[in-house]
Amino acid sequence: MKVRIKGWTGVATWRWVANDDSCGICRMPFDGCCSDCRLPGDDCPLVWGCCSHCFHIHCIMKWLQSQQLHQQCPMCRQEWKFKE
Amino acid sequence: MLFTCSILPISYSSRVRMSLKPREVNFEEVWGGLLETVQQVVTMGCIKRTVWNERFSDVYSLCVAYPEPLAERLYWETKKLLESHVRDLYAKVSKQREENLLAEYHRFWIQFSKGTQYLNNLYSYLNSQHIQKQKFSDADLTYGSMQMDVSEQLLEIGELGLEIWQKEMITPLQCRLVGVLLAGIQQDRLGATTDAPTSTIRGVIHSFVDVNMYKKKATLQLYESVFEVELLSETGSFYRKEASSQLQGCNVSQYMERVIARLAEEELRATKFLPPSSHKRVVKEVQDRMVADHLSTVHAETSSMVTSERTRDLSNMYTLLRPVPSGLLQLVHHLKDHIKQQGLQAITSLKGDNIPAQFVESLLEVHKKYRTMISEVFHNDQQFVGALDKAFESVVNHRGNTKVICRSPELLARYCDSLLKKSTKGLNESEVDDKLGHSITIFKYIDDKDVYQKFYARMLAKRLIQQQSQSMDSEEAMINRLKQACGYEYTSKLHRMFTDMSVSSDLNHKFNEFLKNKPQELGINFSINVLQAGAWPLGQTTITPFAVPQELEKSVQTFESFYHKHFNGRKLTWLHHLCQGELKVSQSKRTYLITMSTFQMAMLLMFEKVDSLTCEELQTHTHLNDEQFSKFLQSLLDSKLLLTEAESLQGDSLQGDVGIQLNTEYTNKRTKFKISVAPQKEQQHETEQTHSAVEEDRKLYLQAAIVRIMKARKLLKHNLLIQEVISQSRARFAPQIPMIKKCIELLIDKQYLERTPNTTDEYSYVA
Repeated sequence: MKVRIKGWTGVATWRWVANDDSCGICRMPFDGCCSDCRLPGDDCPLVWGCCSHCFHIHCIMKWLQSQQLHQQCPMCRQEWKFKE
Repeated sequence: MLFTCSILPISYSSRVRMSLKPREVNFEEVWGGLLETVQQVVTMGCIKRTVWNERFSDVYSLCVAYPEPLAERLYWETKKLLESHVRDLYAKVSKQREENLLAEYHRFWIQFSKGTQYLNNLYSYLNSQHIQKQKFSDADLTYGSMQMDVSEQLLEIGELGLEIWQKEMITPLQCRLVGVLLAGIQQDRLGATTDAPTSTIRGVIHSFVDVNMYKKKATLQLYESVFEVELLSETGSFYRKEASSQLQGCNVSQYMERVIARLAEEELRATKFLPPSSHKRVVKEVQDRMVADHLSTVHAETSSMVTSERTRDLSNMYTLLRPVPSGLLQLVHHLKDHIKQQGLQAITSLKGDNIPAQFVESLLEVHKKYRTMISEVFHNDQQFVGALDKAFESVVNHRGNTKVICRSPELLARYCDSLLKKSTKGLNESEVDDKLGHSITIFKYIDDKDVYQKFYARMLAKRLIQQQSQSMDSEEAMINRLKQACGYEYTSKLHRMFTDMSVSSDLNHKFNEFLKNKPQELGINFSINVLQAGAWPLGQTTITPFAVPQELEKSVQTFESFYHKHFNGRKLTWLHHLCQGELKVSQSKRTYLITMSTFQMAMLLMFEKVDSLTCEELQTHTHLNDEQFSKFLQSLLDSKLLLTEAESLQGDSLQGDVGIQLNTEYTNKRTKFKISVAPQKEQQHETEQTHSAVEEDRKLYLQAAIVRIMKARKLLKHNLLIQEVISQSRARFAPQIPMIKKCIELLIDKQYLERTPNTTDEYSYVA
C-alpha cells in the first residue's frame, strides 16, 4: 500500500515559560493578565530583563516610569535592560 | 331678546337724558319700572331695546343714589321678587302629574336659568360695586379658616337666582323628581321607551349640577347627595336581581357574554344621561354586582376554560375580572399551571434521534403558542407574561428528581452546535440565524447558564479546531446574542477563542513566507492552530504520550523553531489528539483521500511497507497508552481498512501478539471520506467531564463570591451570607446550599474567614 500525507493540521497550545508563577509587581499569575487588563494572552504579554526576571509588560513599564534616576529591576536592583 | 350690552354704548346713547352724577332717587318709582323688566327677563319675555338700555341706568342710579345709596334695598327687593317667582313656578310644577313633571320642570328650568343669566348682566353694576367687594376671595376660601359663613354673604344676582331655585324648587320637589328620573332610567334599562325624552331626563339631571356651578367648592355635592346616591343604589339592586336571574338560566360562558353586553349598554346609558363624574361609578357598581359578587362562580369555571383553551371565554373573563381587585390571580395561576403542564408534556416523551432539536423546537412551539395567546387574549398583561415566564422557568429547569442533573443546558447547547456545524440539512444562513435567535428565548429561562456555557465552549472549540463551522458570521452573531443576554464576562472566553483563530491564520501565513526562503520543503501541506492555554476548554488530562510519525517530525520541528524565534518566552504543547490530517492511500485499484486523526495516521503509516503487524509492535512504535491505542485501532478496524483475526472486538483483546492485517481488498464507493472515533461513547464521556468541570468552576466562583461579600461586610450571619451568595450567583446558576456550606468550610480552613468567637452562626473576615 502506498500512503502519503497530503496535509496536516496541527493543534498546539502555548503558555508563558517564566521562572516564577506570578508577576512580582502585581502578584497576578502569569497565566492571567495584569490587574489593568481583562484578558490574558497577546494583549498582556510578559517581558524578560537581562537579569532574567520577568514581569507583565504593563507592570514593568509603569514601574520604570515611576523611577526617576536609575532604571532598576524591582526584584534584584540591577540596572534594567530588556532581554533581546 | 338680544342684549349683551356693555356699559359704554348705553351711557353714550342715553347721555342726553342721563348724568352719571349721584342724585336723589325715588326708589318706589324706579323699582316699579325695573320690576316689570325683571319679571319679563326671568320668564324670557319680550323687551324693547330702549327699555332694556334704560334699565341699566336705573340700576346704576339706584346704586349711587343720594344721599343714601339704595343698592342694599335693591338687592333685597330683587331677592323677594325672585323668590316669589320661583314659588309660583313650583306651584305650577308640583301640580303636574308624574308623567308631565319632568317636562314641565325642565321647561321652567331652561327658561329660568337663561333668564337669570341675563338678569345678572342687567345687575352688573350692583354685582361689581356692591357684592363682589364683600365676597370672600379665592384665597380666603382656600386658605382661610372654616369659620367664615358662606351663606351669610350676598350673592351676585345670577347666583342668587340659582340659589333660590335650589331652595324653592329643587328641595321641595327632589323626592318626586328623583323618583321619576329613576323610573325613566329603569325603563331605559329594560329596553322600553322612556316617558320623557332623553334630552329632558338628561337636562333635569344636569340641572342638579348646573344649579351649583357658580360655587367654588363642592360643586357636585347637591347632585351627588340628591341623585347619584339613589341612582347607584337603584343600579345595584337592579343588577343584583339581573345577575341572579341570569345565572340561573345560563352557564358561566353565556353569563359573561351577557355581562359584557350589559356593561357596554350601561356605559352608553351613562354618557347619555349623566355628568362625566358618574360614568365610572355607575359602571363600577354594575361590575361589583355582576362580577365581584359572583367571583367564586366565575372562578369555578376558570380551570376548565384554561385547560380547554377556550380563547373567547378567556378573553371575556379577562375583560370582566381585570377591574376587580386581585380578581385575575386565579386565572393567572391556572394559566401558569396549564402552560407548565403543556411544556412538560412536550419534552418528556422525546425519543428517536436528534433529541436536542426535538427538545428545543417543541419547547419553542409551546412558548410561541402561549405567547400569542397572551397577546391576543390577555392584551400582553404583565401578570400573564410573568406567568408564562414562571411556567417556562420550571419546565426548562425541570428534573425528574433532585439526584438527576438537568439536561436542558446540554440539549440546548447541542442544538446550537447542530445548527452551526457544517451539515447537509439544507438550511440557509438566515434560517440558521433565526433558529439561533429563538434558542435565546429558551436560554434565558435556564438556571444553570454556566453548564450551557461549558458545553457551548467545548463544542465551539471542536468546531473551530476541526473547521466544522458553517459560517463564521453565524458563530459571531450567536456569541453576541449570548453577550447581550449575560454580559461581557460570560462570553469573554468565547471571544478569545475567536481571536486565537485569526491570530493562527496570520501565523500560518507568516510561516509559509518563512518556508519560502528555506531550501528544504516540508513535503506536506502544513497548517496549525496555536491556542492560548487558558482560554480553551481542552482538558490537560487528555494529553497522552505519543511518538510523532517520522513523516511529520520535520514539520513539527521547523515550526517549533520558527515559533520560538518569533515569540520569546512561550512554551508550545502539541495536542495530538486534536490534530488531524489527510492521507492519500493508494490500494491496488484506487486512490482514496482519507481524513483522520494523527493517531490513526501514525498506525496506518506503518502499513506502508508491510501488510501485517502485531498489536504490540503498533503500540510500541506509536507510544500510545492502552486506552487510546485500542480506541483508535478499533476505529480503523471498524472502517475495514485494517483487519484482525481476534474473535471479539472488545477493547481488551487488542494487545500482545494479536495480528493486524492490511485489508488489501478494501473498496469504498467514495474516494474522499473521514474516519471518526465512535461518537456515542465519546459524548457520554464528554458530558460527565463537562459536568465535573462545571462543578469545579462553581466551587471557585462561590468561594470568590463569599470572600467578596465578607471583605465588604466584615461580620455576617450565616443565613444572610447564604442569601447574598445566592443572589450574586443567580445570573449564572442556582447554587445548592450544601455546596455553599462546603465552600465556607474550605475558606475557614484556608483562613480567609473564621467563626466569630462565642457565636454559633456568625463569620468574620480575616484580613
